[in-house]
Amino acid sequence: MTRSVWKGPFVDGYLLNKAEASRASGRNEIIKIWSRRSTILPQFVGLTFGVYNGHKFLPVQVNENMVGHKFGEFSPTRTFTGHSADKKAKRG
Amino acid sequence: MPERPILLGVIGRPHGVRGFVHVTSYTADPADIASYGPLADGRGRLFRLRWQAEGVARVAEIVDGKPVWVSNREDAAKLTNTRLLVERERLPAPAEDEYYLTDLVGLAAFGPDGEEIGQVGAVHDYGAGASLEIGPLIVPFTRESVPEVDIKAGRLVVRPPAEMVVQPAVKTLARAPEAEARS
Repeated sequence: MTRSVWKGPFVDGYLLNKAEASRASGRNEIIKIWSRRSTILPQFVGLTFGVYNGHKFLPVQVNENMVGHKFGEFSPTRTFTGHSADKKAKRG
Repeated sequence: MPERPILLGVIGRPHGVRGFVHVTSYTADPADIASYGPLADGRGRLFRLRWQAEGVARVAEIVDGKPVWVSNREDAAKLTNTRLLVERERLPAPAEDEYYLTDLVGLAAFGPDGEEIGQVGAVHDYGAGASLEIGPLIVPFTRESVPEVDIKAGRLVVRPPAEMVVQPAVKTLARAPEAEARS
């Protein structure tokens, strides 16, 4: 069952303050969080979070397309080992 | 045997009676495996693939420069579990600021002061930007955190970002500002 619209998206409150502080500092920093359940809000766009997956903090660089998703979606808890073959990584 | 072999796929079980085989492709776009030209098996044989359907291909062994197409199930079954390799040099040059994962893994990582930090063990990308795993350190693959990448020299410079730890507060469930404004 989906969440009622009138409630608005769920987000742990302390994230908003920290995101604001991180943006104000203007430094290149990772905000380490355990809150995988929080929704990604437009105020988080451009910031980098380290989302805990039970083992380590995986960097999540937030962009516009990720708004509305949960942080946990980008930090899988199970190890994926694939072949690199011709796959590429783009430096952001 | 290619000098720097890259595993692109594996031939699987035969499909039908006309010599077709299932192929597991590891390339970013599975169909691309057939576009890299002759594929080596690591034992001196070369193969060419032609897709017939999704995941099913016709295979030819290249003998004296000519393709000899496999035409029956028995011959196709003999190729099961054949690894398909290609030389690194045959992969096309990547775009600016793009790197093959196979090139990044194994690079020596140095700090901004020139001190060696470790080796790139893995590259993660789960839809939120790539990140490099260097020992216990995981850094986002951005210009700020990885200002220098020199594939030829086998090294990169890492400037680990500062960390801001957000410990979960006692009970701070909050509603998003827009919801707060509505109520």
